[in-house]
Amino acid sequence: MITLELAKCSGCSRCEVHCSFFHSGKIGRSGARIKVVKIENIGIDFPVVCQQCQERYCTKCPEKAIEIGSLGQVIVSPTLCTACGTCEIMCPIGAIELYEEIPHVCDLCGGDPRCVKACTLDAIHYEPDVTERVSLKEYKKGSRNLNPEEKRLRYALASAQDLRDHWVAERRR
Amino acid sequence: MLHGYGGHILRADLTSGQIRREKSDPQFMLDVIGGRGLNSTRLYQELKRDIDPLSPENMLLIGVGPLTGTLLPASAFMTLSGKSPMTGILGDSAAGGHFGAEIKQAGYDQIVMTGRSPNPCYLLIADDHVEIRDASHLWGLDIWQTTAAIRQDLNDNAIQIAAIGPAGENLVKYATVACNNSRMCGRTGMGCLFGSKHLKAVAVRGRGRLTVADPPGFLELCREMDQRIMVHPEYEKRNALGSTLLMKALNGIGILPTNHFQQGLCEYVDLVSGERLAEKYKVKNKSCYNCNLHCSRYYLTRELEAEGPEFETLCSFTSRIGNDDLEFGLKMNAFLNRMGLDSLSTGETIGWAMECVEKGLLTNDDFDGLDFTWGNCQTVEKLLDMIIRREGIGNVFAEGTRSLAQHFGKGTDEYAFHVKGLDMICGDPRGIKAFGLTYAIASRGGDHLRAEPFFELTERYDEAEKRWGIREIADRLADKGKAVLVEHTERQALLTDCLTMCKNIGLSMDVLDFDIASRLLKAGTGLKFSPENVDQALKGVIIKDRKMNIDFGITSADDTLPKRFTHEPLKEGASKGQVVPVDRMVKEYYEVKGWDKHGVPRD
Repeated sequence: MITLELAKCSGCSRCEVHCSFFHSGKIGRSGARIKVVKIENIGIDFPVVCQQCQERYCTKCPEKAIEIGSLGQVIVSPTLCTACGTCEIMCPIGAIELYEEIPHVCDLCGGDPRCVKACTLDAIHYEPDVTERVSLKEYKKGSRNLNPEEKRLRYALASAQDLRDHWVAERRR
Repeated sequence: MLHGYGGHILRADLTSGQIRREKSDPQFMLDVIGGRGLNSTRLYQELKRDIDPLSPENMLLIGVGPLTGTLLPASAFMTLSGKSPMTGILGDSAAGGHFGAEIKQAGYDQIVMTGRSPNPCYLLIADDHVEIRDASHLWGLDIWQTTAAIRQDLNDNAIQIAAIGPAGENLVKYATVACNNSRMCGRTGMGCLFGSKHLKAVAVRGRGRLTVADPPGFLELCREMDQRIMVHPEYEKRNALGSTLLMKALNGIGILPTNHFQQGLCEYVDLVSGERLAEKYKVKNKSCYNCNLHCSRYYLTRELEAEGPEFETLCSFTSRIGNDDLEFGLKMNAFLNRMGLDSLSTGETIGWAMECVEKGLLTNDDFDGLDFTWGNCQTVEKLLDMIIRREGIGNVFAEGTRSLAQHFGKGTDEYAFHVKGLDMICGDPRGIKAFGLTYAIASRGGDHLRAEPFFELTERYDEAEKRWGIREIADRLADKGKAVLVEHTERQALLTDCLTMCKNIGLSMDVLDFDIASRLLKAGTGLKFSPENVDQALKGVIIKDRKMNIDFGITSADDTLPKRFTHEPLKEGASKGQVVPVDRMVKEYYEVKGWDKHGVPRD
């Protein structure tokens, strides 16, 4: 899975840029499968990407278009998918999102994630042997009526609390 | 199909509310490239020269480079342009962050705003959907509050916003526009121009994707650019400190403005240095869109937190005004960013007042009783409130240093350190001669970014010989050959601005040259860019800028420096005894340019 060292992230979005370019030859946040949430008033920049969660909420696909690959990555079948949006609704953290009627989600670039290569701050890592370590149960509640951007923001805010506490302890003790 | 470019020009008449989208014309883009080149050309063609900058007739442009928002690193900037309310001549100012890329991904290369909205408004651009929205509820809010409020209203945290604060609303002449809370279009009063149009903000959401003409070729070139940045000898230091490294660097060569340029050495520099800021307050790096240098910083003090500051703000609120309290400087950075005031111009008005009081030309009674002793932080805080609200003496300060000196007379203009009405930056030109020439000739007034001839600080003598055949160009104290250097880096600076690239990287780190730029442009856009036609485009824009300024009343007499820098040698430090022989240098510059002796282009 892709893991994050939040303290190192500067919010440059190079992960997004290279993700989008690798997957489509085009560049834009909407085409990226990793999306940086920027919360400027608290200095947090948080790349949100599929956590290969224990619950695998997105696999509750009515068309059975989503399966899990050998690397633990989410695989969407383009022939079975009807762009119904269930996966997008099911994901509690906004890591899968429809764009131009295609669910966009991290596929680990076949085992060589471009976001990790693009990050020059060593803030994003690829841990190939780790999968289904994270539970997203606590984020599931109340996520149903939120759009992906709102879900990402909520997830980033909650996940950044430890770092914020650390900063305050370090600079204001 | 036009690759790289957003593909459209957006026109919004704020008086009538009429909105028009035009397709970007490939041939026109080939002639002007984009960003500042595009903006300057638009003004040259369409702006009525003899208007009041605050009138509805003035134009307000946002231009973004052809490769911004693509894979090209460090090209995240956007440039605002118009007739400057601060100087009355060509005005423009650029900022990084994430706004520029968003405009491109929304499908635009330039936004052209004219007129004046009957009520406070903001312009919302969501791809093809564009509307002018009411901003009555936002009027009076600071920049951070405005940004948060618009995102909340639209329920979209990812929307990018360029906004003004109360200073812009109240038409302070050096008000700024900020995106991402802390990325400032600081100079020439573009925030005042927003205010005059009753425009509180521009909000952009781009859900599109940009294409490039030759994806593999472009990727290869961008990797080379990435690499040039990563292996640069200054990478580590710039990554850790950003531009604040200049506090100690400039002090080391005796040109750190101290007590309003009375000294170039600051004895307490270690208390206010970038190093101390990083050690005591920084918590992480921050970055513009798609940059691998990450030179900005986020910091916490005991009472507040913010992004920045850059060197110019840090110096303006520490050594330049005689203040050794770093935490106060950090507080002012956050405050100015919220309120939307240019730190350089604000700092110059304060430094000017402090020196005028020290010299006995004016007294505290001239300033509503405020005590302008060096480093008096309480005075600074009170004054800023008065400037922003245009209250009492703040109303005069809000017009800028040139006007202040005219208002008070008594020889105080000798200490008003501006060129063409734009307050000088923090870098004493006496020890960096090419910079001195740059301040004198810069088409927006007293600043370094029009040429940033950083090469003279490098001591790369052999390289100077190789590039220009003049070894002295690598010697910061020599004036010989500096006209040649400035003529060159002025084009390089404009090229950087046309790509809306970062000057620290493109120019100071010497990463962008004409050859790679034209290859990037060609692979990115598919247009027939070559080093020759790129250079031709740049030369054309420089001439348009000059001709516009001549129309605005600029003559060769304005291409100069305040007397201190030409007649008062520095007293101590590594630039001791130096002044700038500005008249000779400007004359040489005209000759290199092929302009006549009055500084008028011949064609």
